[in-house]
Amino acid sequence: MEEWKPNPAVKPHKKRSWYLAWKYKLMNQRALRKLCQTGAVLFLLVTVIVNIKLILDTRRAAYEEEEESAQDYDDEMLNVEVPRHPVNKKVLDVEVYSSRSKVYVAVDGTTVLEDEAREQGRGIHVIVLNQATGHVMAKRVFDTYSPHEDEAMVLFLNMVARGRILIFTIKDEGSFHLKETAKNVLKSLGSQVAPFLSWRDMWTFVGKKGGEVYGEKHAKSPALSTWGDPVLLKTEIHLTSVEDAECHWPDTELNRRRKRFCSKVEGYGSVCSCKDPTPIEFNPDPLKDNKVFDVPVAVIAGNRPNYLYRMLRSLLSAQGVNPQMITVFIDGYYEEPMDVVELFGLSGIQHTPISIKNARVSQHYKASLTATFNLFPDAKFAVVLEEDLDISVDFFSFLSQSIHLLEEDESLYCISAWNDQGYEHTAEDPSLLYRVETMPGLGWVLRKSLYKDELEPKWPTPEKLWDWDMWMRMPEQRKGRECIIPDISRSYHFGIVGLNMNGYFHEAYFKKHKFNTVPNVQLKNVESLRKDNYETEIHRLLGEAEVLDHSKNPCEDSFVPDTEGRVYVMFIKMEQEADFTTWTQLAKCLHIWDLDVRGNHKGLWRLFRKKNHFLVVGVPASPYSSKKPSSVTPIYMEPPAKEEGAVAVPAVAAAEQT
Amino acid sequence: MQKINRNVVLALLSLTSLIFLLFQLCYYKFYLSQKNGAAFSKIRGSQSGQESTRWHVVRKFLGLISSHNIPVYLIDPLILGLVDKDIEQIRSSPDGPSPECKYFCTPRDFTTFALLDKTWKHEVGLFRTAEKMGFQWLKIINKDPRLDGMDDLSGMEIPLHYIFKLASHAIHLVVFYERSGNFLWHGPLRLKQHMDRKFVPFRKLHFGRYSGAYEKPELLLVSIDDLKVQIPKNPSSFLEEMSHSRFLECRYREARAFFQLYPDDASLDAVEFRKKAKSLLHLAALTLNNLGVKFWLSSGTCLGWYRQCNVIPHSKDVDLGIFIRDYKADIIPAFQNAGLPLKHKFGKVEDSLELSFQGEDDVKLDIFFFYEEDDHIWNGGTQAKSGKKFKYLFPKFTLCWTEFVELKVHVPCETLQYVEANYGPEWKVPVKTWDWKSSPFNVQDNGVWPIDEWDNVIQIY
Repeated sequence: MEEWKPNPAVKPHKKRSWYLAWKYKLMNQRALRKLCQTGAVLFLLVTVIVNIKLILDTRRAAYEEEEESAQDYDDEMLNVEVPRHPVNKKVLDVEVYSSRSKVYVAVDGTTVLEDEAREQGRGIHVIVLNQATGHVMAKRVFDTYSPHEDEAMVLFLNMVARGRILIFTIKDEGSFHLKETAKNVLKSLGSQVAPFLSWRDMWTFVGKKGGEVYGEKHAKSPALSTWGDPVLLKTEIHLTSVEDAECHWPDTELNRRRKRFCSKVEGYGSVCSCKDPTPIEFNPDPLKDNKVFDVPVAVIAGNRPNYLYRMLRSLLSAQGVNPQMITVFIDGYYEEPMDVVELFGLSGIQHTPISIKNARVSQHYKASLTATFNLFPDAKFAVVLEEDLDISVDFFSFLSQSIHLLEEDESLYCISAWNDQGYEHTAEDPSLLYRVETMPGLGWVLRKSLYKDELEPKWPTPEKLWDWDMWMRMPEQRKGRECIIPDISRSYHFGIVGLNMNGYFHEAYFKKHKFNTVPNVQLKNVESLRKDNYETEIHRLLGEAEVLDHSKNPCEDSFVPDTEGRVYVMFIKMEQEADFTTWTQLAKCLHIWDLDVRGNHKGLWRLFRKKNHFLVVGVPASPYSSKKPSSVTPIYMEPPAKEEGAVAVPAVAAAEQT
Repeated sequence: MQKINRNVVLALLSLTSLIFLLFQLCYYKFYLSQKNGAAFSKIRGSQSGQESTRWHVVRKFLGLISSHNIPVYLIDPLILGLVDKDIEQIRSSPDGPSPECKYFCTPRDFTTFALLDKTWKHEVGLFRTAEKMGFQWLKIINKDPRLDGMDDLSGMEIPLHYIFKLASHAIHLVVFYERSGNFLWHGPLRLKQHMDRKFVPFRKLHFGRYSGAYEKPELLLVSIDDLKVQIPKNPSSFLEEMSHSRFLECRYREARAFFQLYPDDASLDAVEFRKKAKSLLHLAALTLNNLGVKFWLSSGTCLGWYRQCNVIPHSKDVDLGIFIRDYKADIIPAFQNAGLPLKHKFGKVEDSLELSFQGEDDVKLDIFFFYEEDDHIWNGGTQAKSGKKFKYLFPKFTLCWTEFVELKVHVPCETLQYVEANYGPEWKVPVKTWDWKSSPFNVQDNGVWPIDEWDNVIQIY
């Protein structure tokens, strides 16, 4: 363009005189004149065309440029456009079906819920729709035939933002444990029937939270042994404008993430509250001299987005956390967990599921660990967390103070934040650490060399349906190495739903677990955790310990005197290294972990009773048996005869979980 | 009548063309002034608009970057080349004002900077500010190669290149990632379908044609042309490194397909051998790198990398290649010091040299020396008991970097030709019984060593 421009710029003036001169000169030479004229016309035409093209080009370029640089305004443009859409008038057709064996919900002809599986999905199904777009924001089922599920439902309903559309339908039975509170909540949503729902009734209800009711249908069960007739509710919902459905938070980077999140999913409570949203950035105090600032943190997740949300909140609130080192590994292509990850501005990686059940988890672990060390090639360690853990405020402080041991002491296998035996009544000292022969998991640190040189090459293949953690605990892998654990756990296992987990089991073994909430705990005597130092320490401790009265029943509270801060020791029978008969019985009556043996170190267990340090030594298998006064007979407790059969089944599964 | 018409048409056309020409002139003037507007006024000296534009764009860019605390460093080969000539002077006067605009005023389409991924958080704020400052930007993202080797993981795509354009000048920002093997990696620049191919003249970019591997550079803060920038401490070695930085990713997809056909050997022996081979390779790489001897994966080790991205468990040794021109007498003592005794030495520097070192537990390290001819490259073999010589021919090749068992190592860039020359077209099929004298596809008899030389050319320990 620059090349040919000067040319025509000069020509026209010349050309005109040129043309006039020619005009007179060549008046008579018709043919020549005609030729010239045609030539001139052609030339001019070309000029015009080229020029028009140029104008169009530059205009388009200018327009594109504008568009590019206008990305800034994208959001506002969206908002401006909204009212022009006929969204206001849009109507959704909703069908809701409730019956004994099947429930379904269809929105505008699209099935958004269908459950006709046998022995599954019993209770009240709840679906939340976005009142502006009609998108499904949450789907839950509360088995209100079972206890406490109604509380979870109330909690959930309270978290749903005002204005959202709620759809309820019952499959099979949903009233047995539906308590007054829950019924009142349903009533406040506009349900007429809810307060009178009874055994095996069928029920469907569609309403707007804090607003109108779109429809309700109910079929009473005629008799105890039969179910109500199936009910089908068809109704229409008028959608509102997007403007009305969104909150008007100040336009910041954080709020953009929040907005994206809140327009997609429901059930996360105040994070989406318009007035006073809960923060999604926490900025906890940095740790002084943080030795784990550059240690990558791998969060292993499945499809439990609410758990992940709770977990990430606690993790990001822990002092010394470095969000840039966190990667969330999601097992499967689930959207909602990824939404949670993005809400917190973290990076997430999805993993195509390989194999099934335990092997699937195990393959997911392997992929996650390998990926972590690939992404952070400089890292010597990785922190491994799961999505159903609360993280203590001093989690990183605890690791920062102890990680050098893992680096220097070859006899260590891991550092774990979890004490299997650390229950409310058996853990006391936040500054105390132990060495144990078992690997607790549930928030732990893995050494890269251990993973790369030993574990990764022989990790169980997908066709072996093994648990990764059970495999890691096998002697072939552990090779006699130990883990360091705190007396009071720095993680809390809150997951109730899980592969090997259920409510009963959680209540029995996890609910009463002690969890440290004190910030900046200064750990006591970390150096004594080294291999040889620890033996000296134990001997010192046993030396000062008072021997308890072995004639009493160790299960009784009175077995331990009503003192505080003393060290007591008891001796139990343990014929060889693998004889845990008495220990298991003792653990059972002390209400600590008894499903397999945890927390032992050379036939010694350390815990607290009545605020006294309480040592249990297995005689004669333990090398510490020599400390037993000859007058004391080790206590033997007989396992009860076979009545434990029922418990044995969850026991196996349970052992796998942790 | 006809005539008048014609004249009227002609006049009209002339008029229109004149108007257009006027418009063009105006537009051109307007366009130029917009491009260089601010630039004309400030810079001293006699630089033309284009030149000072560059200086200004770079200054603006550095301002943008420092306002977001993002540490970038200059890797523009042309500027670094100029800087290298005056490096002493620049080092000695880090703050002094420069008398003339020497480096950032040469008219170019691009100035190239590097950014270490882990030193910044991907934030949208940067781009917003950039836009406010008048930059147009382009981000080139692609798959994360660090996850590529893994089955079925899909992470977020990572940014590999950024281009910030202001007026007629563009800043090319190359993002470097740390990879296992303690090196930095940058990705290739590939435009996706919807991208503006004319955003900048991409072909002229210095980085992005291939991916590249670099050592972690030491940086130096200098002031050149009154701009404070970080540059590699030793520009000439950086430029040297750049000239052969091309990086090849392992063919993970093909490797997966291979393992589908021939499931991996997960026996304890295989695990143990791989572990030993890996540590032997690490030790060999360390030793040779310390000596400054360039080497590459050869024979079975190269095949393992190319075919399955791993050590072949039944291969029983580690094979390296070295050009004979890189041979150093120190090689043998260096390996011995590293705890690898010499097992045998065949041939001599002038002909068919081959060294073999004894690693831990029967894992052997073979080093073959390669001799370059006009149209091919070859290495030799010797049979100890008969003194027979063999020759293995390869087509000419150059060297590329790759990542293998957490190590940054060389492989022939033309790997397929190399592997095919060595193993024939059936290289994809694993062979467990292998005779180095007859199995290779490219083996040739090469006579016999004269008996009187045997003591020298056949040394077994």
